[in-house]
Order: sequence, then C-alpha cells, then structure tokens
Amino acid sequence: MASPSIASAIRPFTAGVYMLLAGLIAPPGTAAQSTFAPSAATQEPAGQGSKSPKPGKQDSQQKESEQEEEGAKKADDKVGFRWKGYPSFQLGKGTHIDLRARVQLDAQGADSPGNDSDEPETDFARRRIGIEGEIGGVLAFEVDRELEGENAWRDVYANYQQFDFVQVQGGKFKLPFSLDENTSATNLDFVYRSLAARVLAPGRDRGVMVHGRALDRMVRYELGVFDHDGRNARSQNPERVYGERTLAGRLVVQPFRSSKSIAADLQLGGAFTSSDLPEGARSLRGVTTFEETFFDPDLFVLGRRQRAGFELRWRPGPFSLKSEYMRVTTERRGQSVEDSDLSPLLATGWYVSGTWAITGENKADGLNKPRRPFMRGGFGAFEVGARIEELTFTSAASDGVPSLSVRADLVEASSDRVTTLGANWYLNQWVKIQLNAIREAIANPERRSLATREPSWSFVTRFQFTM
Amino acid sequence: MTLRLSVAIVSTVACLLMSAPPASAQTAADLFDRDTVQEIRLFINSRDLDQLRTRFREDIYYVVDFQWRNMRIRNAAVRSRGGVSRNASKPALRIDFDRYTTGQRFLGLKSLTLDNLWQHGSFVAESTTMAFFERMGQPAPRESFCRLYINNVLHGVYAIIEPIDNDFLARSLGENAGYLFSYQLQERFYGDYLGDELLEYKRRFQAQNHELESDAILYSPIRDLFREVNHPDDGVWRERVEQYLDLRQFITHVAIENYLAEDDGILGAYSMNNFYLYREANTSRHRLIVWDKDSTFAFPEFNLFRNAEENAVFRRAIAYRDLFDLYLEVLERCALATTEDDWMAREITRAGALVAPHVREDVRKPFSSEEFDQAIELLLEFAKKRPQYVLQEVRKIRAANR
Repeated sequence: MASPSIASAIRPFTAGVYMLLAGLIAPPGTAAQSTFAPSAATQEPAGQGSKSPKPGKQDSQQKESEQEEEGAKKADDKVGFRWKGYPSFQLGKGTHIDLRARVQLDAQGADSPGNDSDEPETDFARRRIGIEGEIGGVLAFEVDRELEGENAWRDVYANYQQFDFVQVQGGKFKLPFSLDENTSATNLDFVYRSLAARVLAPGRDRGVMVHGRALDRMVRYELGVFDHDGRNARSQNPERVYGERTLAGRLVVQPFRSSKSIAADLQLGGAFTSSDLPEGARSLRGVTTFEETFFDPDLFVLGRRQRAGFELRWRPGPFSLKSEYMRVTTERRGQSVEDSDLSPLLATGWYVSGTWAITGENKADGLNKPRRPFMRGGFGAFEVGARIEELTFTSAASDGVPSLSVRADLVEASSDRVTTLGANWYLNQWVKIQLNAIREAIANPERRSLATREPSWSFVTRFQFTM
Repeated sequence: MTLRLSVAIVSTVACLLMSAPPASAQTAADLFDRDTVQEIRLFINSRDLDQLRTRFREDIYYVVDFQWRNMRIRNAAVRSRGGVSRNASKPALRIDFDRYTTGQRFLGLKSLTLDNLWQHGSFVAESTTMAFFERMGQPAPRESFCRLYINNVLHGVYAIIEPIDNDFLARSLGENAGYLFSYQLQERFYGDYLGDELLEYKRRFQAQNHELESDAILYSPIRDLFREVNHPDDGVWRERVEQYLDLRQFITHVAIENYLAEDDGILGAYSMNNFYLYREANTSRHRLIVWDKDSTFAFPEFNLFRNAEENAVFRRAIAYRDLFDLYLEVLERCALATTEDDWMAREITRAGALVAPHVREDVRKPFSSEEFDQAIELLLEFAKKRPQYVLQEVRKIRAANR
C-alpha cells in the first residue's frame, strides 16, 4: 500500500492520464480551425467562416490552409453530421453548428504558494463547453460557458462577417486589448497568462465592436464600445468601483506580410481603452501567479481610467518571440486631504517570452497538429519556452515621501517579478501537457509577509484536453 | 564705514536667528509646553470627514495631514477614539504618524491623542490630574492645550496628550524592553480570576508592543496575576502576588486616584478602568500607569475607601498592615502636595486662565462658558477642602485602627 503522500502525488497524474487516454482513443479527423481552439496563437473577435478567416491566422501558411478549407467546405455543404476533430452539424451551405469542449486540469506542487495544503493539489482550471457556428456564411456565433463557478457564461456573441474589411460583433467577449489576454487559453505557451494580461488587460464585457482587415490584411483593426472595462478590473467587493462605459481599440500591423522574408510574420500592435470611474476605492489589484494578493489598498479614485498597450509577436519557423507592455492610469480627482487632485495611480506590466518547437513544427501553424502524433508513429510535438515579466503598482508622482496611505500622492511601489520556464508536449490535436517552473520575487511594503518570503521555484503541471 | 556696515549686518542676522528658531529646534517639550495653547491643523478629505462624523463610534482610520507651526506631517492616520466622549461634532481623535508611512515621526512621537475635553466642564481637570501624578512621583503622560482646526474650521479647545508607548516608557521609566498593555473596558472587572483561557485576558489587556509574540508569552503572567490575587490562602497570598504585581506601586496609584476623587479608575464605580499595565523586562512583575483622567475631582468628601470592597486586589492588599499604612501615608502626602505652595489652586488658576479665552470661542463644547467658570470654581473649592477632609479622615482611621 502506497503511503498517503505518494498516493496524493499520484492522484493528479492519474486524472491526467485519463484525459490523455480520452484524447488518444478519440476518433481521427480533420482538425478544423475554431474560435474555441484556434491553431494559431490568438483568439480573435469573430467566429470562423469561409468569408472571414480569423484575423489571428495571418500566417504565410494560413493561405494554403484557407484554400484547403475552401475545398473541404464545398464538400461539406451537404446536410448531415461531420466529425472534424469535434462534432459538427452541417445544416446547409455556409450553415453549421459545432460542439466544443475543453478541460484543463492543473497539478501544483506541495510547496507552491497557491497550495494551502501540505500535499500536491489538483484543480480544474477550466471545464468549458460551447457551441459555435455560422449561418449563411455571413453570421458567425459562439456561446460557451464553464460547467460551474460564478460568471459561468464566457463568450456569448455574434459576428456579422460578410465583408472582410468591416465586420460587426456584438455580445459578450474580450475587449480588444492585449495579445496575451486575447490568446485562447487552449493555445497559451505557458500554463498561466502573463500577470499583465491577467491584471491590467480588461478581459470580457458586453459590447459592440467594429473590426476588419485592410491593405491585403497587413492591417487589422478593432474598435468597440463596452458596458464596463472588463471582468479583470472588477472585485468581489461591491464597494470597489470599476470603469463605466468603455471605448476600446486595437490596431495590429504585419508590415512585411506580403514579403517572403523571415520577417513576414512579424506583427506589431497597439491598443487602448478609456473609461470613467465613479468616486470610490479602485478595484484593480495586484495578484501573484498563484492568485495571492500583493497589492490591494483602498486607494480612492475618481475620473478617467486609460490603458495603453504595445505588443510584438514574431514566429520565424519553430521559434517565437512575444512581448507586451501595458500601462494603466487612473485619475484621482479631488482625492487629496485638501480635496485637490492627486497624481494618477499607475500600474504597469510587461513580459518577454520565447519558445522553440524542438520537433521542428512551424510555430505559426500551431503545434496542436504534430507532424508525428503520439502512438501514431511518433511522440507528438515538443516545445520549450521561457518568460520573464513584471507587474508594478505605484502612482505617477515623483516628489515626496512614498506612503501606503490611500490618499498618498506618491504611492509606495509594489511589484512582482516572475520568471517562468516551460515545456509543452502536444501529443496530438486534442491533448497537451504543460510543465512550468515558476519563480516569483515580490517587492511589496504593504504585504510584508509576501515581500519577505524568499523567492523560490514552484512547479505546475497542466493536462489539457480540447475538442 | 565698512566696519559699521559689518556690525549692522551681523547684528541683524543675530537678531533674526534669535527671534525665529529653526524648525530643527522644535521638540516634543515645545509641543507639551504647559504655558502655551498650541494651534494644530488637520486636513482631511471632505468625504473622509463626513465618514468620520457619521461613523464616530467605529475605530476607522482616515488619512490626514497634521500641521503644527511650520511642520506638516503628510499621510498620517486619524481615527475617532474614547468612550462616552465620542461624538460627531467635536470628535475625540487619535493620530498615528507611522501607520501609512513606515518610520514617520512627529517630534519623535509615533502617535498623539487629541482629547476633546468633553467630559469635564473645567477643561483642566485632566491636565491637573496628570501634573499631580507627576508631582507624586508617578509617571504620567505630558499634556498641553491646543486650538484644533479641521480643514481650517475651528473645532475648539483640545488637550494634546502624549501616548503611552515605548518612547514614554524610556522617558519615564528609563527602559522599554518590557511588555505594555492598555486596559480595554469590557464587562465589569474588579480583578477577578477569569479562568485559564488567555483569550479573556487578551480581550481586556491589549498589547501595545511585542505584538507578534505568542499569547502565552504576552498573557500568561497576567492570567497568573489574577489567579494568585484570588488565591484563597492568605498565608501565601502576598508572596505569590508580589511575583506578579508591584503592590506598593499599586497602592500608591490607587491612593492618588482616590485622593483626586476619581470615580472611573482602579476603584471605579463600574469596573477597573483607565490604566496601562507594564511588565518590566525579564520579570513577571507588573505596575500601573495612569491614563485618561477626566472623571477626577468628583467632590471633596469623596470616600477614601469608595468601592474598596469590590476590587479583589485592593481588598486583599490592604489587609496587610504595611500596605494599609502606605495607603494612608500616600493620602497624607497627597494632601501635603496639594497645599504646599498652594500648588493645586495655583495650577488650576494658571491652566484655567490659559484656556479661558479659547474656551469661550469654543462653540462645539458641550458646556456653556458660565458652566466652565463654575467648574473652575468647583476645582478650586476641591483644592481647598479636599486636603482638610482627607487628613481628618486619615486621623480618624488611624485612631480607630490603633
């Protein structure tokens, strides 16, 4: 009989093995592109359609796959059930409904900061089901939700996609800000998104957005109006305030897209959001990779909250390089002890990450279609990566004595610097296993218990099944 | 000509230096100067001030800028304080200088109490009491008066009170490595044994330093003190209790309180109240430190043994002849200290005259200016009659116990 500690260590792996087996015995089929699990790195605003491939799939290889898809879609126009790597019901020309599912199981080491017990801990990061499809080839839609938890409804939207250069999307979806935040959780290079994306990017909200592509798809734009400034900016504390009506936009260019050079995939972009906040304690808080709060004082705000983001992505062959910088400023009108304005609160975040597909797959195509899938003549695709990042909270003032006071002009800075080393194993199009080693160093005067903790490595394993 | 010009310049500079001392020359002694009514200005966001007034019964901290003379301490913390003196109009306040800004001090002080002088119409009862404790050789917090402005609105006359903290201990006792506790009035408590659970003692004695140490280290000696106080065997009582309490200091403290006709102290009408407990380093022995004396000077014929039977410590202690004699002796010394050089009457007159014009301007005080004058008169009457009454009573008691 195994000892309890060994048994508990084995438990998460057992669950992962079940998922793995489920993926391996699933019937083979064509891995169609989908918003639920896009093969390339970004989740984009609209559902997928013959007239409007997802803006994220702007790779050189994508043109070929688009042509292949066109051919497949002609053959698929007949009404009936299809297996495309997931169940699909064709209801007529340009009209289909696909069923999608995603399960992610995380196992954290016993010494991980997010693990309160003395034993390794497993947790379902996501258990999501959804439907997506098209109607008449001009209207795409997606509805998906978590099987449990608060705010279970995730993406719920429709996209009018008749024209490539101008499309209109409405419903609940992610605001167009941040490459990492808008990358599907299925396609993340690391188990967790960057802190900047998790904390500073807005996330989902209800709204309507115009988007499209121009100049032979060298330029992609998104501009929308939303009810608020996203779920990420909210707190469970009802007394905390968050952005009201929010304007958000993103512009991405691939300046060398039409060239055959190695730089063809290089993508640069910028994004912004702007919203007003009512008077009250702000809701943006600093959390560590393992969701420990390291910055959450009741700093009073009133005025405009603005986000600015800059992004870079380059995926030459089996390599990739991604980087983002985000900055959120929140005004504090009339918040000083003399009712005058305080300097705006300032939150900044950045990351630089790189990956290498050791087995040689083209990163821009996605690694979820390994050249030689596991148990089908090969071992799947292997990838290694590294990311460094930092998240900092302070205020824009430069003079005075830094203070933790909620009405300080110069807010004492708190920051979290994280280094992540990762290895990804794509067994086939359904199953991925990720192993991350994460090191966090917190500089924070407010939560001294965190700040004085010696930086140490934590290990996380994620088993992912996507259909 | 050149020489004359040089002399003029030097003289001018010297005059300027003498007339306007630099900020660095200001000390806590200047702040607690008993002959000056200071001016203190607080700046609080209007939203916070509304909250402080609305929720004055709660100990919620707000950000405040604190200004005295040319010194402005930014990002200090302020909260409502006190018991029955809490109110929205003229809030009793506690200022903490280092709550939000690590290591911030004001004249070396970590905190200050701004007492709204709400409970005694004379405005000077508390400061006179503290001065009297000091005169009797007992450590007491320094006090002075101020006109308090909040957001440039005069909120009346306040007392500035030195906090009982490590700095106070170092100044008054010469060491501060021990354990300091502030007594928190809960249910009626007269030194009874509350059982083995430390929580009951923790509720009543709030640690003011060494807060991160375990409850066992902090509170076991306090629990043991009250267990021994209530030990039934008189034969071992004194030996055991003296391990945990400086009985002579305790008796002295109670005698001074009772001399001053304090009805809300160790022998208070409702419970023990208004004191700090200090345990010296490397010992289990405690002593009392006086705090918050705004219920003194009740009346000159205040019984010398009022509520004596209620308090377990005092009742058992004065059963010992030497402690009983000490109690009477301290009462006599108090009477002498009152009349010597007419000290108490002069102190009341001096302090009363100092604050009088400012009291008349204080529109937020709960008393009329006429009541203030009457209260000063009553204090002077107390200063005159109390020594006679006490000495007479002590003589009677001695005669009866001979």
